[in-house]
Amino acid sequence: MRKKTTYRNPVSTSKYTGLLLISPFLIGVAAFFIYPFISSFIMSLYNYRMNITPDFIGIDNYKNILSDKAVTESFCVTLKYIFTLVPLKMIFSLCVALILNIELKYMGVFRTIYYIPSTLGSNIAIIILWRYLFTTDGLVNQVLGITGLPAVSWYGEPVPALWTIVLLRVWEFGSCMVIFLAALRDIPKEQYEAAKVDGCGKVRAFFRITLPAIKNVFIMNFIIQLITAFQEFNAPFLITGGNPLKKTYTFAMLIYDEAFAYNNFGYANALSWILFTVTFIVISIILILWNRLKKD
Amino acid sequence: MNKSKNIILKLLLINLTAFTVFSSCDKKNSITEPDGKLDKCTLRFSWWGGDDRHEATLSAIKLWNEKHPDIEIKAEYGGWDGWTQKINTQMAGDNEADVMQINYDWLISMSSDGKGFYDLNKLSDYIDFSEYDDEILSFGTRNNHLNAITVSMSGRGFFYNSDLYEELNFTYPTNWDELINLGKAFEKHDVYPIDLDIQSGGTAWYLCVVYVQQKTAKTFIDMNGNLGFDKEDFKTALDFYSELEENKVIRTIKDRIDSDGADALYQSPAFIDGKIGGVLEWGSSVGKYEAVLDENVLEAGEFLSDENGNKAGWMIKPSLMYAISADTKYPDEAAEFLNFLMSDEECAKILGTTRGIPANNKIYSYMEENDMLSGISYISTEKLNEIMPVTVSPYMDLQQIKDYCNTALENVSYGKASTSQAAEQLYTSISEYLEKIK
Repeated sequence: MRKKTTYRNPVSTSKYTGLLLISPFLIGVAAFFIYPFISSFIMSLYNYRMNITPDFIGIDNYKNILSDKAVTESFCVTLKYIFTLVPLKMIFSLCVALILNIELKYMGVFRTIYYIPSTLGSNIAIIILWRYLFTTDGLVNQVLGITGLPAVSWYGEPVPALWTIVLLRVWEFGSCMVIFLAALRDIPKEQYEAAKVDGCGKVRAFFRITLPAIKNVFIMNFIIQLITAFQEFNAPFLITGGNPLKKTYTFAMLIYDEAFAYNNFGYANALSWILFTVTFIVISIILILWNRLKKD
Repeated sequence: MNKSKNIILKLLLINLTAFTVFSSCDKKNSITEPDGKLDKCTLRFSWWGGDDRHEATLSAIKLWNEKHPDIEIKAEYGGWDGWTQKINTQMAGDNEADVMQINYDWLISMSSDGKGFYDLNKLSDYIDFSEYDDEILSFGTRNNHLNAITVSMSGRGFFYNSDLYEELNFTYPTNWDELINLGKAFEKHDVYPIDLDIQSGGTAWYLCVVYVQQKTAKTFIDMNGNLGFDKEDFKTALDFYSELEENKVIRTIKDRIDSDGADALYQSPAFIDGKIGGVLEWGSSVGKYEAVLDENVLEAGEFLSDENGNKAGWMIKPSLMYAISADTKYPDEAAEFLNFLMSDEECAKILGTTRGIPANNKIYSYMEENDMLSGISYISTEKLNEIMPVTVSPYMDLQQIKDYCNTALENVSYGKASTSQAAEQLYTSISEYLEKIK
């Protein structure tokens, strides 16, 4: 029997080497994630205003949140936004991914083109340009006019105002679509060929083969979109400023105003923790339900 | 598991202790005292404004750099929208500029105990206080600390698009009735005699306050943060606003938002294209409205009176102030630069009236002698001074107060609340808030 040979690792392998190698990451996480995370919670227990020595007030900030009408209103706006955006974006991204999964010449070019909005989406300039598209005399109303449709009061009415933000975020479907596309390309083609031989139509194949094959990716994508939607700030801040009647004033905008406009940092941190807790609970419920469904 | 719990608990305790210790540290412990000499350094100077102010200030900095090559000035500037939030963020992180242009209400929100900004009394070797009236200096004093110096006194007045008024053959209004009547007359031409906003400027509520103050001789909020208006006064203010909208004197909030989104009025296509006949603006900031129209098109109007010619109720305030950061490492150099901005004649020549009419007596005389006091900013301020304006309470400028007022206006404008309901809600919100922060 051949004797087993071991080779020395060229790098010193003391028990601290691994720790040393990942230390930049650990320091980064500790300094920029764990410390602010814990500090934020502690700050939420104080009446913390700039240039005033903070007072420890226990859970008073959290008690005040319960009776704050602005919290309820902004939370409802955020929920409305989530319920409109997330399903729409998921369906749209999946549809585009299905189209881009078709094997055609130059499909790579199309995939790149369709991904471009996502690379631009977080750009402030794009959000500002988007704002001008929907003004009274903006391009969208001009196009509606050409087609004989009446102009829409996009920013003046609560529902259309929320839609301008939803449409922007749906337009930035690239990242969501790429994740779906990657999952779709992993499905063996043989499955579709066998189904076709058995007389299975395309719609049935989608529900019987495609959806079950990408279900894990689907739920992961859903959770990512949900978390992002809970934190929505940039688009409503720049496009509508929360108008009209605060019907596009999201929870993240309230946190921002409490901290930086009203100089109420303790309360803003308490609001941040409420947002975190709600997101955490919602995601946990989804995952628990998902695991039960999988077992069934 | 228990070990992990212990670690988390210890981390929390360490953090709590550290937070309590650090947050309790008094700023004054880390204040750099003046050393009586000017060292080589780089100072940061921040301000907000329109392009006219930016260009003039950058030229003034260039002049400073020629005169003081060892003290470089790094400019940080932008528009008003979002500027308070930016400075709040910097102040919270002790990362603000060495020399700052500040707003009047910041003395309350950022320096309630007088320690938020450097005490300029310590820098009297560099800043010539004798050129300021006592009242001017008192505006910047908190808890006996001179936190800021008033750059100029200014009030909001009407400025009109002369081309539009001439074209339609109308004269500028002189009283409230004339203003209301102009609405219907202008409507025939699909234009508006004036417009007001509920954005960060909040000119709509400002005009309502002037109207009620003139009518009742009450003050909205006094200098100590006491609310002077009662529920009936709030209702009168909101009724007046409704009247303006109903008579087409101003656009409805819905029309304005539809047309401009979250943009300020001076960026509005309707104003730039000459469909808005006038604006209510600070004399010190009207340059941004002038800049988007042809030269000399914007003209200063009268301060409106009641039917008896009573012009009371109009307001004035330190429109802009200069302060030095409490965290600056270069107080001597910062004070020297601040004094240059306020009292150097060459600098004054460059800056002109881009920050209003100077409160510094020496510079005022210099500009007067050299015929530099002209333009609509000057005309408006002079007219205002003639009618004995009341001083604006810094509490009126607080963002939360503005937001309460704007919400009430919005509810009335959209018909979501009657003026009585909105007035009731507004009175309660403002009373509670003032009680909380005083």
